[in-house]
Amino acid sequence: MEILGGLIHNYYYFVAIILFVIGTHTMLTHANMIKKVIAMNIMDTSVFLLFVAIGYVQGGRPPIIGSDPEALYINPLPGALILTGIVVAVSVTAYALSLIVKIHRAYGTVDYDEICELRGDE
Amino acid sequence: MVLADQLPVLIVITPLIGAFLAPLIYRRHEKASGYLVLLSLLLSVVMAVFLLIKVRRDGPYFYQMGNWPPPWGIEYVADPLRVFMLLVVVAISLWIFLFAIEDLQHELRRTVIGWYYALYLLLVASMAAITMTNDLFNLFVFMEICAITSCAIITVKEDRECLEAGFKYLILSAMGTGCFLLGVALLYMVTGQLNFGFLQQELTAAVINYPLNVFTAAALFIVAFGTKAALFPLHVWLPDAHASAPSPSSAMLSGLVIKIYAFSLFVIFYRVFPRSLLDSLPLSEIVLWLAAFGVMFGSVYAMLQTDLKKMLAYSSIGQIAFIFMGIGLDQRLALVGGLYHIAVHAITKAMLFMAAGAIIYATGVRRISDMNGIGRVMPLVLVAFTVGSASMIGIPGTGGLISKWYLALGALEIGRSLFVLVILLSSLLNAIYYMPIVINAFMSQDDFACQVKEVPKVLQSALVIGMIFVVITGIFSRPLTLLLEEAVTVFF
Repeated sequence: MEILGGLIHNYYYFVAIILFVIGTHTMLTHANMIKKVIAMNIMDTSVFLLFVAIGYVQGGRPPIIGSDPEALYINPLPGALILTGIVVAVSVTAYALSLIVKIHRAYGTVDYDEICELRGDE
Repeated sequence: MVLADQLPVLIVITPLIGAFLAPLIYRRHEKASGYLVLLSLLLSVVMAVFLLIKVRRDGPYFYQMGNWPPPWGIEYVADPLRVFMLLVVVAISLWIFLFAIEDLQHELRRTVIGWYYALYLLLVASMAAITMTNDLFNLFVFMEICAITSCAIITVKEDRECLEAGFKYLILSAMGTGCFLLGVALLYMVTGQLNFGFLQQELTAAVINYPLNVFTAAALFIVAFGTKAALFPLHVWLPDAHASAPSPSSAMLSGLVIKIYAFSLFVIFYRVFPRSLLDSLPLSEIVLWLAAFGVMFGSVYAMLQTDLKKMLAYSSIGQIAFIFMGIGLDQRLALVGGLYHIAVHAITKAMLFMAAGAIIYATGVRRISDMNGIGRVMPLVLVAFTVGSASMIGIPGTGGLISKWYLALGALEIGRSLFVLVILLSSLLNAIYYMPIVINAFMSQDDFACQVKEVPKVLQSALVIGMIFVVITGIFSRPLTLLLEEAVTVFF
């Protein structure tokens, strides 16, 4: 029961890990390259979610210095890091998609299994 | 001098500026662009040498980005270990580029060469930053730059095989960085730190209070760096990617990129994880056994290959495992062996790929069985190949012996003689697949059948430089091993 209580209390960690597993699994098992890229994004986003959730403080305010010096603030550092992380993920996605365009031109398909068959015939 | 204090960041910025300018200049002056790349790499090498001298004289120092002190700011470290790796990275990049500048003219379309220069310099900058950074998130950012650029220098060739191999590499490397970032998040959750030094302090307590988080993070790090450095059984992307790429890219990828990740794992093991974690979990043991299997399987797979570059790529899987073996044995001399092997294998494998590139350029032959008698037609290239093979096997007088010697000494010191046997057996296997090529190239009765083009002088001189390096690391190894022995003493 203690574990279950912990899970309910920290459900965002739990959700993040489930998303991570879905992403990794889809990325490694699906043959469709577009799906692989989508899964890669799900995986990255799950980690970002986890990171941002770590910085959240229950009942905290946005970290802007205001009139009340005693107020409880949310940790701003994970948010700042994840902004960088998102930029990185976008560039990887852009590169992966442009690669898929080239692959489609070369093989006429974006299905990994079909490509393997095509290459096996050569 | 004020400028001398800025060296760590200047070494990273110089190639970055070069990467920005090179494709711009390439549109008007193709030659000048190449010289610009050469110049920025040369500057980095000179600065790295100065940094080494400075560190030897004044001791290690920390560089704070933008003068923001840690734990908030990003910190770069210049200590003997990091500077050694930095010097290996920039010096070998410069040397490979000497080869690339001529070889690329024949392997790529003219219009993309300028972009290749930019990618190459970005790759060098990211690797230089990875060697020096003391911040986990900064490490992640540069790992991603390194991953994209290293995929891009494969796919720049745009033939069917390269595209497919590049995509496979990209996906697996994205999985690696995903795992790494999750590990970072788990560590941040329990410590609130990203700086290596602070993290190590906090982790000592965190291991006791939140063991699950720390253990999971450790496992994720092994998977992440194992995938990126092609540690057996996570090596599946490597053979296609390294074999199909243009020859300078193969040399770069096999020579440096996979080592950078092995080095990062090493730094995380000894600079981030506290000693108590390494003692309480069999992390080293896991790495050690994977490495032992990698050494054997890499060699066995390499024996089965018929394509020269594929064979060299599989051989890299076996050789990178030696570096992991140094980390896994967790002993001073073995670590020296592993680190020394980073330098030795970087030089040797880059030279072998260059020799393979020169063979393919001059004759178009890729199959090993078609190379009978080739040594009599292009002696210099095949002599370079022979020297490289000798170093791979570990014949005295070449660098390969020294690293294997240290690894074996380390294994004996802690009574793990089984791994000495693994090292010996793998040397034997290396001899089985490298030596027939050399012997057939020079002694075969058949004459070489194909037409042979003249190998350009620049390519030949790059190979000669490589041979000199290999022999120097084999005969005058003492200064470097002394430096490494001194550097790793702090970990024990």
